[in-house]
Formats: sequence, structure tokens, C-alpha cells
Amino acid sequence: MNSLEPKRVIVIDDEEALRHAVKRILEIEGFIVKVAVNGTEGIKLATEEDYDLAIIDLKMPDINGIDVLKEIRKSKPNTICYIATAFASYDSAIESTKLGADGYILKPFTPEELISQLYKGIEKRNILLETERLRKEREESLLEVAFERTRLKTIINSLKDGVVVINIHGEAVYFNTAALMLMNLEYLPLGIPVVEHFPNEIASLLNSHFLNGENQENTFSAEINRNGEGKLFIEATLSPIKQQNNTLAGVAVILRNITEYKRLELAKSQFVSMVAHELKAPIAATIGFLEILNNPEMKIDDAQRFDFQTRSHSRLKSLLSMVNDLLDISRLEMNKSIREIRELPLNEIISEALLLCQADIKKKNLKVKTNYSPHGITVKADLHEVSRLFLNLINNAVKYNKDGGSISVTAEEKNQFTVVKVSDTGIGLKPEEQAKLFVEYFRAKNEYTKQIHGTGLGLSIVKRIIESYDGKIEFKSIYGEGTEFILYFPAVVIGG
Amino acid sequence: MATIVVIDDDSDILDASSLVLKVHGFEVITANNPDDGFRVVKENSPDLIILDVMMNEPDDGFYLAQKIRKEGIKIPIIMYTSISQTLGIDFGANILTPVDEFVEKPISPDELISKVKKHLNAKAVK
Repeated sequence: MNSLEPKRVIVIDDEEALRHAVKRILEIEGFIVKVAVNGTEGIKLATEEDYDLAIIDLKMPDINGIDVLKEIRKSKPNTICYIATAFASYDSAIESTKLGADGYILKPFTPEELISQLYKGIEKRNILLETERLRKEREESLLEVAFERTRLKTIINSLKDGVVVINIHGEAVYFNTAALMLMNLEYLPLGIPVVEHFPNEIASLLNSHFLNGENQENTFSAEINRNGEGKLFIEATLSPIKQQNNTLAGVAVILRNITEYKRLELAKSQFVSMVAHELKAPIAATIGFLEILNNPEMKIDDAQRFDFQTRSHSRLKSLLSMVNDLLDISRLEMNKSIREIRELPLNEIISEALLLCQADIKKKNLKVKTNYSPHGITVKADLHEVSRLFLNLINNAVKYNKDGGSISVTAEEKNQFTVVKVSDTGIGLKPEEQAKLFVEYFRAKNEYTKQIHGTGLGLSIVKRIIESYDGKIEFKSIYGEGTEFILYFPAVVIGG
Repeated sequence: MATIVVIDDDSDILDASSLVLKVHGFEVITANNPDDGFRVVKENSPDLIILDVMMNEPDDGFYLAQKIRKEGIKIPIIMYTSISQTLGIDFGANILTPVDEFVEKPISPDELISKVKKHLNAKAVK
């Protein structure tokens, strides 16, 4: 409390003359003075507001001064209370201080006596207030520390990453539940060396931190076998914790579950080796033919020469389209292609695709049936992508058809979708082949498909394109009879 | 005249290989899937088999080789591979490896013939 502020005094006395006299003396001295005419009013006023000092008459008709003091103490422990009495004696003075008065004022008193008493009281009150301030401050900061600790603990415990702190003696001083889970441990004893509980790689790195004073942060990945729950790949980062004098205090170990990344990495490298194999097959076949064509010992005739040249040419063409398919897939995957979303007339796009396959349609003597709704059906999409999609589907319908078979394309608007069906009377798919239909490089291999070259990427491109427009592809197929693909283009294109 | 069975699902490789072998005077029988391959091997008792490791499934050729060996057929088998390193099958370490030599595609006619002759001669010496 600011000591320059005027002090507030309450005078509780049933004697009117005394109240006025005291009020006047103290107001001249610069105090703010309030008066109460009896004990009841005194208690009311002194507990409603905060006073620095209270002068309470001992003998009042309604309530004894000591009882008034007790009431004030209950709610205002820092108000300095004086008992004023005309019957001062050693006993009554002792009695009043015993009962909680800070002092007593002997009636009658001179103004100087009163004021000097009050100043002593103010000093006492200042000390009381300061003590209380300090106590409150301490309580608050303790609370804050306790709260901070709980909060930090809660945060660290809810992390998915594991956290273990090891001190210089190799004892775990802190760990969270994720750490136990990631290291496949049931528990970690606190306060005894625990390095041996850790997976080997972590244990040996911890030792090198402690033995050699390793200063660097170290990150590595380890494989953890979890009983019955399969393997877990974790990435562990060990960071030295330094004391102020730069000596090692301990090591913080952060563990991250990277199993999913490892799985993707494996899938990617399997894909790459698959691609390599698929690219190598046409190269190997072409080199095989060229070796023969260029080898005079082989003594091949013109017909055979022509056959090998034609077949080399076709293998190289299929190699080229495989590379183009791969580029398309990677473009779709990276979302790099710049799309130009427009209303595209479906009949034009399908006619274009049919035209591109015209030579093979004629060669196989296929009948083509198209059936569109009377009003022009459109899809909102990128021209290049939709053309590619239909070319792949129609090309398949031609390639895997039987001689003299037919292809049918229909389109209609249904609910919120444009539904396009492309069906053929081709070789169809066996049930076991159907499950793999959209898998990269899967090509049905059976007695019908022996002589058909393909990249194994066409349908996977179709699926990626339609799904990138939030659409869907389905198919029905009967082995030996034919296949029907059903495409759903949403009428509303998000991000278009 | 030695008889050789060539089993590969790539008809171009099949035709090129058999032409090279025929020019060098071998009798050649071809098959383009493991089942036909197994059948022609059993029916024709050839002197040597050339087998592609990867047909319908990534290791069809390998399983066919094991099946042939289980029949007690001990003739040399040369296996065509193109991605032996990345298949994840450790051929070398497998004591049941029933194959005499792995060759990587593409293989030149001269190389093919010299490998075939090497194994036929080794068989003759046995």
C-alpha cells in the first residue's frame, strides 16, 4: 500500500463529544476519518470497507469493545485496532492486547499522544501488509510452478514421440509412455542405470555419449521387434544436455515412429525395380533381334529379317508408350500438370479416341455402337486428361476384343453424375485377375493375351485421372465374354 | 543332336533364342508358360533347359526349376534373369538352388551358345 496515501481511521465510540474531537484532530493531521455511534454500526462499517486503523471504545451500551474488535479481526486481520478505555489499568491493557488489540489508548488523551500511538500502528500495519504481500506472492509462484510442471508433464506424456532423459549415471530421470511403447518396454525403473534396457543401437550410442563425452547430436534409425505386433522402425535422436559449465549433464533421447515412411520407401523401391524390369524386357527382346540381324552366321532369309524388324519396331513403340505412361503417372502423382477445366463435349472426345483406334478396329472387324443422350453431354475437366482416359479405355476395348466383336459406349446424366459406360465383347477377366486390375504393371496373362503388348499402366492412369476429379470407376467382367467399365464424373468439380 | 527346351513368356525372346540355337544345330522345343514348360520337359527328356525366372509371377521360373528337380531330372538349367538383384530372392544362398547358371538378359548369340556348350560338356564329362 502506498504510504503517501491518506490513512483511513474509523472511530467507534458512543460518546459524541469524543468522536467529534478525535475526528477533528485526525483530519487536521491528514487522516480520513469515519465515525460509528455504537458497536453494531462499528462492525458494519469496519468490515464493509478497509481501514488502516480502528479506535474502539471498550464500554459501549450495545456491544463490548472487545467483541467488536473480534468481529473486525475476522474479516479485516490487517486493520490495526486500538481499544480506548477510561479505566486503564495494567490488567485491562493486558486483557485487551491478549484479545487481539494492537494497543490501547488511555482516556483522556492529548492529541499528541493519540497521533504518536496511531503512527506506531501505521508502521505495524505497513509491516503486516508487506508480510502478507510476500506470502501471497510466494503462494502464487508456488502454484504457478506446480501448474507449469503438471502442464509440461501432460504435454510430454501426450506426445506421440517418445522422450527419455538419461542422467550422467545412466539413470532414467524422465520418460513418457510413448517411449516405452516405441522401445517395446513394459517399464523403466527410475534411479538405477537403465541403459541395458534400451535397444542395442541406442544403448551403444548412449555409452559413447557418456564415455567419450560425445558432443554432437546423433540421429539414426533402428528396427524394434515387438512381441507379436510386428516390426517397428524408430528414429532416435540423442542430444547431449549441457550444464552451465559445459560439462555433460545427461542425454535426451527423442524417439519417432517411422514405420509408415519405411513402408512407403519399400513400396517405392519395389515400384522402381518393377519399372526397371518392365523397361528392360522390350530392350532385351530388341537387342536379341538386332544381334541376330547383324550376325552373318545366322543366315536368315528376307521374310524372317522383315519379321524381326517389325517385331523390334513394335517392342520399341511399346517401350516409348510405357515411358510416356510413366511420365503421366508421375505428373498425376505430383499434381504438377496445369489443368484447364472446361466443359468438354463427351461425344467429340469419344469419337476422337475411336478415330485413333480406327486401324485396329478395322483389322479386328469390330462393330462400334455409341449411344448418347439427345442433348450434348459434357464433363467439366481438362481436355488432355479426359482424352487420355478415354483413349486408354477404348484402346483396351479394341486390343482385348475378339475378332468380329463389338464395342459399345454410352453416356447419360444421372443424379449428380455423368455416367459413361465402355464395354467390349472381349476376353474378360478371371475373378483372380479382377482384384489386380488397377495395379501398376498388372496385365492379365492367359491364353488370349499372349500376343498383346501393353504397358500395364493404362488402367492405373485411368483410375488416377477419374479419382483426381472426385469421380469413380467400376467394372463388370465375365471371363471369355467381355468387360464393361463404368465411369462416374461428378457434375460439380471442386477446385475447377 | 542335343535337345534344348526354352521356356519364356516373352515370345520375342523365345523366337530369337530358339533361332540362335537352331542355327547352331540344336533341336529346340519352346513353351511360353510354366505348365507347358513342365509338360514338354517331362515328355521330351531334353539335354538342357533355358528358363526365364519371371513369368506370370515374379518367381514362376524359379518354382518351375524346383518342380523339375523334384521329378529327379538332373539336366543343366540355365536361368534368364533381368532383375536378380532386386527381386528379394537370394539365389546364391539358397542351398536348394536347382539352377546351374544365371544369365542376365539380353544375352548375345555367341554368349548363349558358349554357355549352352559349356553345360552340355560338363554334363557329358559327368
